Amino acid sequence: MTTPPATIVLDNEAIQALADVHHRKHRRALSFIEVANQRSGRRREPVAIVVPVAMRVETGWDRTAPSAAALNRISRARDIVLGARAADRAAQLRQNAGVSVVDATVAQVAEASARPIAILTSDSKDMHRLAALIEGDTRVIHL
Amino acid sequence: MKRPVPRDEDLFALLDRLDAHGPTVVSSVRQPAALKEALKVAVGLGLDANANDATVQALRDRLEAFAQRRALDAHYAAHPEVRPSLVELAQAAAELDGDPLAIEPALIHRAATEIVAFRPRATADDVLVYAAGLRSQANA
Repeated sequence: MTTPPATIVLDNEAIQALADVHHRKHRRALSFIEVANQRSGRRREPVAIVVPVAMRVETGWDRTAPSAAALNRISRARDIVLGARAADRAAQLRQNAGVSVVDATVAQVAEASARPIAILTSDSKDMHRLAALIEGDTRVIHL
Repeated sequence: MKRPVPRDEDLFALLDRLDAHGPTVVSSVRQPAALKEALKVAVGLGLDANANDATVQALRDRLEAFAQRRALDAHYAAHPEVRPSLVELAQAAAELDGDPLAIEPALIHRAATEIVAFRPRATADDVLVYAAGLRSQANA
């Protein structure tokens, strides 16, 4: 028995791919958004698509920029802010997994979100290492 | 006075302005009595903190899904070549669900190809159910 995710977390390349119609993984990244939308619109539990704010900074995703309009609309991703407690947890995850600051915030957001979680990433090695440190059903999907 | 024509831009602008601490208005909604009672029971069972939160969240989810649908359709209209195929959607659904079928792309491909013959509007989830059936049949 498999369970659809309640939350999809966008990592760096997922954002890059969704933002650029010419990106080689644009269509694949869209597939996940499309499935989430079809399911949310069909009397099923909605799938939340979220992005850690640090990841928005890293990828240069400025929601107010005209160039981000399509990305804002097709992803409908919700910002997850980094508060003091979340920063502490991200710092612990970073230290334990030896990953970048931004990757640690992805794991922290995954840990704090409704389960099951799917992380869309091209950095599956680091994300698998992080997923092993957090509780609950976390699926690392290589974009 | 003539009402303005609804525009996608307005829908997105309003949804983007939604904020839990933003201004609120009181409005009355005619609803089936049983729905109101069911909501009360569901809140009692832990659905949400109160009926208001549950109603607002459900409405917001519905509007967000509708707005995203409009955005995706507009995107495919502008760039038809990026519309994912049924095979790609089923593959994505399997990966999202942690479904063992995700490592059987050939089976997903076969299921997607066969199912549209009798269900032209098949969804990714329909394909996965069909693919699971094919696998069971093969294992029998």
